[in-house]
Amino acid sequence: MISAIYNLALTTGANRVVRGSRIEHVCGDPNLGAEKDYAYGMRIVQTALDAICTPVTEPTLFDPLERAAELEVSHVS
Amino acid sequence: MQEPLRVVHYVNQFFGGIGGEEAANAEVSLADGAVGSGRALQQALGEQGIVSHTLICGDNTANDRQDDAMPAIETHLRTLQPEVLIAGPAFASGRYGLACAQVGKIAHALGIPAVAGMHPDNPGVADAMPNVYVVPTGETSADMQQALAAMTRLALQLGRGEELGPAEHEGYLPRGIRRVYDRQELGYKRALNMLVHKLKGEPIVTEVPIHAPEKVTPAAPIADLASATIAMVTTGGLVRKGNPDKQVSANATRYYRHSVAELRSLSGSDWEAYHAGYFNHIVNANPNYILPLNFLRDLEAAGVIGGVYEGIYALPGVSTPVAVSQMMGHSIAQDLQDAQVTGCLLVAT
Repeated sequence: MISAIYNLALTTGANRVVRGSRIEHVCGDPNLGAEKDYAYGMRIVQTALDAICTPVTEPTLFDPLERAAELEVSHVS
Repeated sequence: MQEPLRVVHYVNQFFGGIGGEEAANAEVSLADGAVGSGRALQQALGEQGIVSHTLICGDNTANDRQDDAMPAIETHLRTLQPEVLIAGPAFASGRYGLACAQVGKIAHALGIPAVAGMHPDNPGVADAMPNVYVVPTGETSADMQQALAAMTRLALQLGRGEELGPAEHEGYLPRGIRRVYDRQELGYKRALNMLVHKLKGEPIVTEVPIHAPEKVTPAAPIADLASATIAMVTTGGLVRKGNPDKQVSANATRYYRHSVAELRSLSGSDWEAYHAGYFNHIVNANPNYILPLNFLRDLEAAGVIGGVYEGIYALPGVSTPVAVSQMMGHSIAQDLQDAQVTGCLLVAT
């Protein structure tokens, strides 16, 4: 599950939770400009695909930002 | 004195005295009067009810061969026309609990009130709701006497057509149904009383119980992403432009399935969000934010994933009761499983 309210997803028992951007634009961020918006969205989706290829035993967070040190992502919105 | 109520009792092969696991494939059978654990039920009913017949079915038969077993049970119930059906108690036995739920639902559909007994964690509980009343029991048959006492009390009321009060008073598991009623005392007084009790270290009963979320066993990871078919589901309220299906913006009771077989991306001229829980304008400009088709198409072209499943599933996930969400979730999951989809991304706003 990709969700901007990832804590809620975790506490309500979703097993593979991917941290989305924001409620109004979960898979990306239009404030970053087209190119970085795409890169951020792609990173989120790839993290989600990593998640469904990873064994888990309980609600687990997969954070695209942690995995993307090289990616500059701002949180303006 | 009132005529004794005519009761039909449903039990599995074990409690019906046919045998243990080796008899779990036993066919549906009908016995006269009370059988096995039904004798204790007859005792609990006393003179107020009579177990006219016992329906017995092996747990495997009831679950793996539902299409054979349930019509047979329905035929029996149609013929017998009991005033109430009592199923179980199944305690913590999953297959037995699910069977009790199925049989109870058949009875309900025939206008026969049904009561089952299960441990609150039995998977049959969710299946039985809301039409079959479930009395909470212990995990094992050590709790038989207490369980039967509570089940018969409810069954007698239901069989006589009496209206039941709230779950907490009548001793059945809450069915998620709210009714207006007068608590007699004003809210602030009740809240203060509760606080005083709490400060004194006395037990309190909340008026708004928070239910622990269901635990779902995580799916096994995908072994080979490059050959996997990936589906997408969104609770972001995605609709076709202009909402021709007339989906609601909150409290949805159904989802819509659309095909993206011909699409490589979602365009704001063909799709939009209709969701009462967030500002939709950003998604309206780029619906891929709530259903990332454009990204998956690129990954498909690059050979990272095997393919994108052609069906997408959409609803607005706002103000939806858990029971309704579960129903829709089960249905979507079943659909994806039938289509042999390998994995699924669910985007929740």
